[in-house]
Amino acid sequence: MQGSHGNKIMKNIFIQEEYCLGCRLCEIYCQVKHSKSKKIIKAFKKELVDSLPRVLVEEIGYNSFAIQCRHCVDAPCEDACISGAMVKNKKTGVVICNEKKCVGCWSCIMVCPYGVIKRDLSAKKIASKCDLCEDEDIPVCVKNCPNEALKFKEIDQKELVDDRSESK
Amino acid sequence: MIEVKVNKDHKVSNKKIKGIVDYLIIGNSASGLAAAESIRETDKKGRLVVITEEEYTNYSKPLITYYLAGKVDLDNIYFKPESFYKDNNIELLTSTNIKSIDPEKQEIVTGSRDKINYKKLLIASGGRPIVPGIKISGRSVKAALPFDSIDGSNYSDVGGIFTLTTLEDSIRIKNYIEKNEIKSITILGGGLIGLKSAEAFLEIGLKINIVELADRILAATFDSQASGIIENAIESTGSRIYKNNTIEEIFVDSGKVYGYRLRDGRENDCDLLILAIGVSPDLGFIKEGMIDTNRGIKVDSRMKTSAENVYAAGDIIEGLDILLEENRNIAIWPLAVRQGRIAGSNMAGNTVDYEGGFFMNSVEILDIPSISMGVTNLSMQDDNGVEIKKIFKPDQNLYRKIVIKDDKIIGVIMIGNIERAGIYSGLIRNRIDLSGVKENIYREDFGIIHLPSEYKKHLVVGEGIEV
Repeated sequence: MQGSHGNKIMKNIFIQEEYCLGCRLCEIYCQVKHSKSKKIIKAFKKELVDSLPRVLVEEIGYNSFAIQCRHCVDAPCEDACISGAMVKNKKTGVVICNEKKCVGCWSCIMVCPYGVIKRDLSAKKIASKCDLCEDEDIPVCVKNCPNEALKFKEIDQKELVDDRSESK
Repeated sequence: MIEVKVNKDHKVSNKKIKGIVDYLIIGNSASGLAAAESIRETDKKGRLVVITEEEYTNYSKPLITYYLAGKVDLDNIYFKPESFYKDNNIELLTSTNIKSIDPEKQEIVTGSRDKINYKKLLIASGGRPIVPGIKISGRSVKAALPFDSIDGSNYSDVGGIFTLTTLEDSIRIKNYIEKNEIKSITILGGGLIGLKSAEAFLEIGLKINIVELADRILAATFDSQASGIIENAIESTGSRIYKNNTIEEIFVDSGKVYGYRLRDGRENDCDLLILAIGVSPDLGFIKEGMIDTNRGIKVDSRMKTSAENVYAAGDIIEGLDILLEENRNIAIWPLAVRQGRIAGSNMAGNTVDYEGGFFMNSVEILDIPSISMGVTNLSMQDDNGVEIKKIFKPDQNLYRKIVIKDDKIIGVIMIGNIERAGIYSGLIRNRIDLSGVKENIYREDFGIIHLPSEYKKHLVVGEGIEV
């Protein structure tokens, strides 16, 4: 269903698989960014259970890539969300999980074809996913990638992957 | 009437609808509101009215058991924000049930005999709980109650007997627990609603009995190994599960339930009985011959019914099951939303086809998350071309089962570890051929990297972007 959220230009993260070194710096910076202290030593020594990286590096041998929420045009997680927590912002295109509304039913995990939503079991059970670092100019995973395996650029939403309408 | 505190903005005063409505939607839940939103993406001005028999603006039906468990309060049980109706220019008519529909006249008649004329109608009013007929007996039954068996019309007259499919049910149960000293709770039905109810009572520390007709709980969605893990966890709380059983007689005293007799003759105390054997499409207001129905309303791929200008979506319909390749009722939230959006878009003049869906469910009981999807209860002997991959570690409450037919996944069960479950649902939905990679797909660390390269590329880099 094209155009169901308008066709505004949004910025999104692109994966350049061939450039990924598998260094996992994206995971580390993401985890620190979403930790309480925002400090790398504290985040890893004391808050390890409280914060999760929202980007995931997959790796077999020399083959690797980093993947996070694709902020789908027609986000299946938004359709599946029973609490109204998962909402795609119509202006920015960013899919955000409102942690106050999330009840941890895991419907989003059940339907996300990328498998990029995690269970955050720290305080309240909630879904944890990429928020595109809304308060930063560039998401930290992109900014700290040493080999430009992640890129942050504008995209017409029409070109974004809509898993259900143009697959195969 | 029960007094409930509801956010003022979530209650609306009732009113009469005059003139012709461009888009009339019966149903104010997942499907109806998805349709309304979808209509507004194309048509910002057409008059849009949503009718519900309930008294609230919107609330999420799946959250009613979370409300019962005290995990969600009434101010947070809505799934669309307070401004939704205003932002989308929707007139909402609450506490209004539908008596009949006349597609010839393009008119509906409400319970209070008001008539509303429409140009396009969407029926998205969902299902109703199935209430089994069960004999009741006991001291002073005749004096207190004018009937000797319960059914859908009278069960709520017996104190302590409830169904649990609406917010009002949940509020009434909560009030009943507060006002009465509840010692033993029984849930009749070990399916999805039964288990969601069980989840809520266990959460507030109450023991339960579950009575299930099949030889195991969640029989429709789990296989016996999966059911076993959940059954053991429930029984470890001191709760009991009576399988291959049902309630044959309910004992009532002074208008309240106090126990029952099982089919096998055993008797149990019970002061709160939840009837949770299932839900079926509520077709009561559809007169014979007006709209084609089977178990649910029949629709085509545009969500159109057999009647002109009448669409239907959500738990009331029979939509395409892509795995069984036939239309059937699959009453789950994600499909209700999807169908509502398709219906709304078509009602507003677009041409969009429903791609179909398949059953899936996520339930967490006693901190054990579980997800099941598709056809899970097949054995390799059942069918040629069926392969099953499994990891089974019951001591760790861990189970993963992947059912493959003709090199495509048709069913998945995940218990304990549900990480990345959606990759499997994507593989099912997109009918991805997995020949060559089957050895990897049941691994606990399974990921996109293990998928066939074309599909992997589709997911990772998207269409049309070369690196």
